[in-house]
Order: sequence, then structure tokens, then C-alpha cells
Amino acid sequence: MDQGFNSTNQYVASRELMDGVNVAIALEKPLLIKGEPGTGKTMLAQAVAQSLGKKLIIWNIKSTTKAQDGLYMYDTIQRLYDGQFGEEGVDDIARYIKLGKLGEAFEAEEQVVLLIDEIDKADLEFPNDLLWELDQMEFYIHETKRTVKAKHRPIVIITSNAEKELPDAFLRRCIFHYIDFPDRELMAEIVKTHYPNVEENLMQQAMDIFYDIRSMRDIRKKPSTSELIDWINALQIGGIPASVLKEKMPFLGVVVKKDEDLETVRQRGI
Amino acid sequence: MFYPFFEICKAKGLHITMSEWLTLQDALERGMAGSSLTQFYYLARMILVKSETDFDKFDMAFEECFKGVKTENEVTSQMLRWLDKSDMVELAHEEARAHLNEMEDNTIIDKEEVEQKFKDRLRDQNEEHNGGSFWIGTMGKTSFGNMGGNVGGVRVGGKTGYQSAFSVIGARKYKDFRDDRVLDNRQFQLAFRRLRQFSTKLDIPKTELDIPGTVDKTCNNGGCLQIVMEKPRKNAVKLLLLFDSGGTMIPYSSLMNDLFQAVNKSNHFKDVKCYYFHNCIYSKLYKTPECENGEWVDTEWMFRNLDSDYKVIIVGDAAMAPEELYSDSGNYRGPNGGLSGFEWLQLMKKHYKKIVWMNPKMAPGRAPWREAETAIKELFPMYKLTVKGLNDGMIKLMANKG
Repeated sequence: MDQGFNSTNQYVASRELMDGVNVAIALEKPLLIKGEPGTGKTMLAQAVAQSLGKKLIIWNIKSTTKAQDGLYMYDTIQRLYDGQFGEEGVDDIARYIKLGKLGEAFEAEEQVVLLIDEIDKADLEFPNDLLWELDQMEFYIHETKRTVKAKHRPIVIITSNAEKELPDAFLRRCIFHYIDFPDRELMAEIVKTHYPNVEENLMQQAMDIFYDIRSMRDIRKKPSTSELIDWINALQIGGIPASVLKEKMPFLGVVVKKDEDLETVRQRGI
Repeated sequence: MFYPFFEICKAKGLHITMSEWLTLQDALERGMAGSSLTQFYYLARMILVKSETDFDKFDMAFEECFKGVKTENEVTSQMLRWLDKSDMVELAHEEARAHLNEMEDNTIIDKEEVEQKFKDRLRDQNEEHNGGSFWIGTMGKTSFGNMGGNVGGVRVGGKTGYQSAFSVIGARKYKDFRDDRVLDNRQFQLAFRRLRQFSTKLDIPKTELDIPGTVDKTCNNGGCLQIVMEKPRKNAVKLLLLFDSGGTMIPYSSLMNDLFQAVNKSNHFKDVKCYYFHNCIYSKLYKTPECENGEWVDTEWMFRNLDSDYKVIIVGDAAMAPEELYSDSGNYRGPNGGLSGFEWLQLMKKHYKKIVWMNPKMAPGRAPWREAETAIKELFPMYKLTVKGLNDGMIKLMANKG
């Protein structure tokens, strides 16, 4: 598996993750990604698309999202209005069928990467409603009696924050990867892809504090990768020298987001 | 291929279906495990295991199945078992024997030399026996490769950039994620979905098409379309949970936890309140399961503040001693408030329109020897705390009558 997805200059993937992506592509199954918030689940899809030179289609899931939204929408109200004013083409229902993100991915002329982001936000039954579509890569539009079939099977990446359990039937069809929280080595690499010129000492000191905070038991919201990256950025812009970092802990609010946690960290000191 | 591993996984409590197993076979046939045990480990894990909570079980199964690869004593038997269907068996046998003898003879061996020799031999072997079945082609080689490394204590997988499978397992990295309770959670959540009562009297934007309204307006408008929107219907159910946290409930704590998690995760309720009691409800309700003095609210405060529309689920084993239920000084842990437990329960019944009692260890049918349970059954509809019982209880909570 030397070909296929690799780390990009924006995204550092562990070897396991890379293989996960490549296996999912080869077996034509959706790749389900879980992991702590801020471990770069969403960015993965961007990196995959970039690395493979494919277009990325993002379907953001919200609590109100229905499976149907991803397939197509029949804009009946527009049609009614058009009918009222005698617009042309009202008799052509197809004009009022708007494909959703999944439909868009199926109809694309080239293979695309489809990201179904935060699938666990949706209703409990949502994943089950997509089983057929993700298996067969097709769906049927009742209004126009047309079957939309994927011209090129999209690479499907699904992320979940584990807010809800996903149904077994859905899980069975996926390749699963859990993104571990990056260790220091990988973290240093990640920071460097974002800020190649970061001062080594500053980065090490910041990472010291960062991992210390993460290891505190009574922290309510553990800081994540993206927060460390923001912090290092802030430190660089502020021109903070590495030597004062541990004493003063400037811009700590970038890393620790809750008042109670800030208090804990300040009291404890590093 | 490799059926024993499948069996062991199942025995460890992993729910692997045939289709997932076949997917793994497919992947192996395409050579996705490359030629390393470690890669096989990750490949099998990503296909067979669908939650990080099960990683630990998988690790255990993997270790049990492949631990022979780790220590030289077991190598021969384990290896031969895998190889015994192939035409390589004779050669491999000899190889392994020779190698082990070598090991026994020379207690100190140059590790790298061992590894190198082993690898060389394997390579030759593979070239000579290209026709061997696929499994031997990769996995056979794999186990050798890894074993070769492990006999000498040198990690072979180093070059791949992976952590070797066994170092991952050895660390039991995913132990903390292990969560055997997850299984029923979803079913509980599904049961709670029954608790729905839609109302449009909430403060939310009008986002849905009001069809009768639209028809009316449009007709009034001389047939010219006029759209009317309305507020979407939202669940108006409010839930009050009362958990028994007494000593007899300790065996059910994980079940309680499940139920609590399921309610917490069901975000469709308008409001959820949760209190604890010790054996029976008296004048105080505790805010935490530890039932510590002071950490409480007055039961009467609850009556005042949580109106009678709250649907109440009491969870407890209803195994009070008679005096705990009937004496007005029966509460040995806190104040009684001048009433017996039974009278407090009657007050509950009077105040709240809908109450069900979920009991984790309910006696079937009539059980005269369990006095308290029988008495409470007459007061509240009681269901056993199982997925089915919970479903029945939820239906009862939503029913219009009774």
C-alpha cells in the first residue's frame, strides 16, 4: 500500500490512519473515523481529497438533518409559485428536483471524496436510513422516476464524536479507525506542518505545558490539538520568548476554555 | 482462512458478523496485510472492530490467538497448526526445528544474525514454494518473520513505522476505553423515544409549512398563493427520574448507569430532572447517588417546583423492610418529615399524573413474601427493568388513561 493516500503538507497522518484510508478505498467501504474532538477528523477528508487530487464534497450533519436531505429535495413551493405566474417549464418536475450532497457526489463526473461530518449529531435512525444508498451507491427519485446511480463510487469518510451509539447494521458496513491522541513526537510534527519556522524551544515548552494540562485529572475540557496550534500561533504573533512561558503562561485562554479550568491551572502552576 | 481467530474473537465477546469476516478475507486476498503480522493486526482491527471500547477485547483475542508467535516454546506447535494444510509443512517443520535446536544449543546468539538468517531462509523458501496457498504466502511468512524477530528479541516490524502489534497489545492501551455497558444503551435510548408528546406552544422560529393555513390564506387571496409558516412541533415531555441508591441496589449499579446514560443522551425531552433516594422516598431527595446528608432537596419543594405534568420514573428494587415503609420513623438515614414512607409514596401518586416504577429484580406474578413490593405494586404500575419492561413502562407513561 505504497500508493494512495499519504500525509500532505497540511496534515500529518499516522501510518495506521493512512492504511485505514487506503483499505477503505480498496474495499469500497465507508471509513468511519472516531476520536477526541480536535484530533483532526474533519481535516482528514480534506487531506485525502488533496492528496488524491479529488474534489471534496462536505455534508455537514446537524440535529435536524434527515437522510432525505442528502439525496434530493423537491422544491414544491417554487413550483407552486412558478405555476401561479405561468413560468415556463413548470410541467417539468426535474427542474424542481435539487440534489443533496450525496446526490451531488453520485452525479459527479469524476470520483470525489464525500465527507459526512459528525453523523452522530443527527437523529438516532439517521445512519440506518442511508444503508441502501451507501451500499448500492444509488437512490430513486419518485417524482421523476429516475434512479441516480453513482458514476464513480465516491470515497466516503464519516466522522463521529461518539455522542450517540451508531446502529450495528451501519457499523458492519464500515471500516473503522479511532484517532488516538497524538503523542509528543507526532504532535511536534503536526505543529511543524502548520508553522515550519516555529522556534524549537518555544514549541517544546508549550507542549510541556499542554501535556501537563491534559494530564490534570480535574480538568473539565481537555485541550485538543487545534487549541495547541492556536496557542503556538498566538505566542509567535505576540513575540513571547520561550523563557517566560512557564512562569506567565500568556494567552492561556486559547488553550483552556472554561473558567473553572483556568482557575485550576493557574492555582496548580506548571 | 484463519477460522480459530474468528472463534476466539467471538469468545471474547466481540460481535463479528460473517460479512465483516468475509471482508477481511477479501482484504487479505488482495494482499493488504502486506507481509507483516502487525499490519495484519491493524487491518483486522479496522475491519472487525467498530468501536474503540472493543479494542481491548480484540487485543486480548489477538494475543490469545497469536501469542505462540511471541515465545519460542510455542512456536512449533502453533506454527505447524497453521501450516498443516500446505505443501510447505515439511520444510517449515525442519526449519523451525533446526532453528530451535540452534537456540537451545547456543544460549547466547547474536540477535541480528538470527534475524537475518531467518529472513534469508524464509525468502528462499518462498521463492521455492510460490505455489503455496495464499495464506502461507503472506501469513506464513508473516508469522515467521515476526517470530524470527521475536525469538531473538528483535522487533522486525520496526521499519514499517508501526508500533509492533504486540507492543500495542502489551501496553493494553485501550483498556480504559473498555465499556461493557454500552451494549444496551442504544436499546434503552430507543425505549425513551416513546416519550414524546408534541406541542407547538414553544418559543421557536416558524420553519414549517402550515398546509391548512396556506390553503385558507390562498383561497382568501383569490387563488393567488400565499404561504403560511408555523412552528415545528417539539417534544413537550418533561421527565423526573428517581433512583433508589440504597445498599440492595449496588448489584444493579451498572444497569442504573446504563439507564442514566440513556436518559442523558436522549436530548429530545423538554426537561429532565434526576434525584436519588435511599430505599424509600421520605421528606428529602438527594442530588447525588451517594445520598449524603445536606446534598438534598425537600420532597415538598419538588412538589411545588416540578408540576404534575412531569412524567415520573422511579427506579428501585422495592425491597424495604416493613418498618421502612410503614413507620413514621422508618427512615434510618435522614428525616421522615412526620410521615411514613408509604404515605410519601401516596403523596407522590397524588401529585403526579403519570408514575411508573421500574424494578431490576421484580418477582414474577404475586409474591406475598415480598410485602413491600406487593404494596407498592398496588400503588404504582411496576415493570421489570429490562428493555421490554422499559418499553412497556414508557407506553404506560404515554397512555391517556390509567
